[in-house]
Amino acid sequence: MTIQVLLVEDSPGAVRLTREAFREANESIELHVASDGLEAMAFLRREGIHVNAERPDFILLDLNLPKMDGREVLANIKHDEGLKTIPTIILTTSDAEVDIQKSYQLQANCYLTKPVQLEKFEAVVKSINDFWLTTAKLPQRR
Amino acid sequence: MEIGFHPAAPMDLEQAEAQGTTATRDLVARTDAEKHVVQMEARYLGLLEASPDGMVVVNPRGEIVLLNARAEKQFGYHRDELLGQKVKSIIPEGFAERLIADGTRTAAEALAQQIGTGVELYGRRKDGSEFPIDIMLSPLDSAEGILVTAAIRDISVRKDTEMHLAMTAAKYRGLLEAAPDGMIVVNHRSEIVLLNAHAEKQFRYWRDELIGQKITSIIPEGFAERLIADGTRTAAEALAQQMGTGIELTGRRKDGSEFPIEIMLSPLESAQGILVTAAVRDITVRKNAERHLAQMEARYRGLLEAAPDGMVVVNQGGDIVLLNAQSENQFGYSRDELIDQKVTNIIPEGFAERLIADGTRTAAEALAQQIGSGIELTGRRKDGSEFPIEIMLSPLKSNEGILVTAAIRDITLRKKAEKHLVQMEGRYRGLLEAAPDGMVVVNQHGEIVLLNAQSENQFGYRRDELIGQRVTNIIPDGFAERLIADGARTAAEALAQQIGTGIELTGRRKDESEFPIEIMLSPLESDQGILVTAAIRDITVRKNAELNLIQKVEDLNRSNEELEQFAYVASHDLQEPLRMVASYTQLLSRRYKGTLDADADEFIAFAVDGANRMQRLIQDLLAFSRVGKRKLELFDLPSDRALRQALLNLSGAIKQSGALVTNGLLPEVKADEVQLTQLFQNLIGNAIKYHSSGVPHIHISAARNGLPMWTFSVRDDGLGIDSQFFEKIFGMFQRLHKRDEFEGTGMGLAICKKIVERHGGSISVESKPGSGSTFHFTLAAIEATSSTAIEETNDDTSSIG
Repeated sequence: MTIQVLLVEDSPGAVRLTREAFREANESIELHVASDGLEAMAFLRREGIHVNAERPDFILLDLNLPKMDGREVLANIKHDEGLKTIPTIILTTSDAEVDIQKSYQLQANCYLTKPVQLEKFEAVVKSINDFWLTTAKLPQRR
Repeated sequence: MEIGFHPAAPMDLEQAEAQGTTATRDLVARTDAEKHVVQMEARYLGLLEASPDGMVVVNPRGEIVLLNARAEKQFGYHRDELLGQKVKSIIPEGFAERLIADGTRTAAEALAQQIGTGVELYGRRKDGSEFPIDIMLSPLDSAEGILVTAAIRDISVRKDTEMHLAMTAAKYRGLLEAAPDGMIVVNHRSEIVLLNAHAEKQFRYWRDELIGQKITSIIPEGFAERLIADGTRTAAEALAQQMGTGIELTGRRKDGSEFPIEIMLSPLESAQGILVTAAVRDITVRKNAERHLAQMEARYRGLLEAAPDGMVVVNQGGDIVLLNAQSENQFGYSRDELIDQKVTNIIPEGFAERLIADGTRTAAEALAQQIGSGIELTGRRKDGSEFPIEIMLSPLKSNEGILVTAAIRDITLRKKAEKHLVQMEGRYRGLLEAAPDGMVVVNQHGEIVLLNAQSENQFGYRRDELIGQRVTNIIPDGFAERLIADGARTAAEALAQQIGTGIELTGRRKDESEFPIEIMLSPLESDQGILVTAAIRDITVRKNAELNLIQKVEDLNRSNEELEQFAYVASHDLQEPLRMVASYTQLLSRRYKGTLDADADEFIAFAVDGANRMQRLIQDLLAFSRVGKRKLELFDLPSDRALRQALLNLSGAIKQSGALVTNGLLPEVKADEVQLTQLFQNLIGNAIKYHSSGVPHIHISAARNGLPMWTFSVRDDGLGIDSQFFEKIFGMFQRLHKRDEFEGTGMGLAICKKIVERHGGSISVESKPGSGSTFHFTLAAIEATSSTAIEETNDDTSSIG
């Protein structure tokens, strides 16, 4: 069974890297991408063109997004009764304390900083997979 | 005829003999008795002739029957010219009549009345001149009847004397009565024979109550005794001793009261012997005056002696007549060495001259000019030394004329003080004028009393424009108020509060422009009360510099912030695209290595390398900028905790190199833990990286040496650094080795330096190529009150493998 992962990331380069890294880690992951906050919300709410979207098992959320930034997206997700149970991991370049604080306050499940080096990035993605998508139990899709 | 003697009383021998001579001529041829008579007659004639008085015998008819040679002489006649003449021709009046019988008596009776008495009459000489005579009559019985013998004495001299005497007596009596003194004449029996009206008044007696009384009744003692002859001298000698001297005695009045008298004695010869005239003067007033004077004199002398100043009294001849003990002290003389000496002996110049009358003024005027003013002169002591004096003169009337009293004050000390004061004043004024700051002296009314040239410059006023003006004219606020006594404090206290502190105020120039000043106050005691000296410094430049500095600091801070912001933002924003480049070139390399040609491999390799390096640079730059960006959070922390974290972070590198890291006891410091960790990490990381062959040994220690800072040392036995690079290595992006020798961006030490300097310390290196390096950095120690502070570290090595 495939795991549905929503990646909210505006940089195509970063998207591709993530995709490659996840492919290396776990082939049964299906990665959906939203490139801005609005699109992310539409996808999650199955609105517009995303009316047939799959509900993701897992969300990887960047903070700096156009139109609606990741913090807002996070807030929306975690205030939405139907969405808040989806584990949402912040995956961002920022390691600023303020961002970390804010994210956890908004009930992010986890905060990860994107390493700069490729190898390290791949290792992080692997550890996400190992922990969150293998070891940890995720709630059933409803 | 018989010669009959008819004695008429009294009858002397002469007369008797004279009578005998009236024997008649016809008796010549008689017997022995007749011879005797003739003898007697001759004898009587002899006597007659020899008589010192003129003898003239006159018959009852007034005719001269006989006269002697003396009478001839007296009257200037020859005998024959007078015999038979009337006696009236020589005694015009008074004689003949006396003999005349008149209605009341017979000739005999008349005669009898005259007998025996000296009668004063006038005789007339042949030349008509008259002269006073004294006649003594005696009768002589004769055959012709009663003859009268007149013994005639020329009493011219006596008369003159008598007249003179009478005149003198009159004069004397007049003088006596008129004398202002009581005059008492006393005889040798000490009886009063004469006194004048004044004496009556003095002694309050009537004249007749005293005449004949003993002088002792009015002058009980001292007079009578003086006149008495005693064993050693006669009365005359005794008296002579008293003559001319005023003798003070006591007189006793009628009522018994006594009063002081002074008597002056003088002798007076008289028929009664030597009389003594005493001029008696009531000296009660004089005695009172004397007593008063004595009192005053005593008092004056007392004052004189007690005077703190030397007192010298000088007469108009410039001689010292009086001086007191203090002047003896001052001049080193004893009194008698100076009395009657010229005052120029002790005051050589300036005194005597002032008393001299000269062509322009009298002595009194000269003196008057000096009275009351203190005159400064030089006094000369006995030993010749001189000293400055101030004299004050005042006149003193005396019997010796106007005397001058000089109060002499030794002003040596005062002169010294004055000189000192002048010196000090001169010095003070010199300092004042030379002072680089403006100096303004203000009195308690806030008025400027003194200022120097610099303050003239500062405020653009001339001195005289400011003296007497209120200081608020030049310092509008903040100065005058500080000096004012108010309800809470006195002026002195107010002042005291300001002393010593530099106060920043605003000064106002003459042209109304203002400028910043700093004043420093200090009090100055003077006879005008407490004055305040303000040293005024124009701090315009300083203020400008301060403002500039503040501005610059602000600019710098802003610029710094901007830079740091920039560095942070730049490195942060650069990260993302760099990440892409680096990652994709790596992917390329990974996926297509060996599938493209060798060139492609090489190209990709360089690209990857470049990207990686850039990433590291950016990271280091970010790290560097973060050191400054992040607010320093200083806490007291044990530095070995930061060390352990750093070692943990380096565990990979340590394991890989097999480095042996040891440390001594490390103290607590006040530091930002993250940065301290970074610091240790960089230094130790370097030590590991730049190792020489073999296992790297790294030791970390700390020492204080009594200083307020801890000096940490990170010692390694690696490659070492040449001294020419000691400064360079702490610069940004400075590398000493080629890229292929050692990796690294050259930022590590720059970051260390920045961290250390942010903590207020300094970093340095000791090293020799081939002998390893020791990096030292200082951090502030925690105050001694902390119980965990460590003074000195022991080399208690512990290692973390």
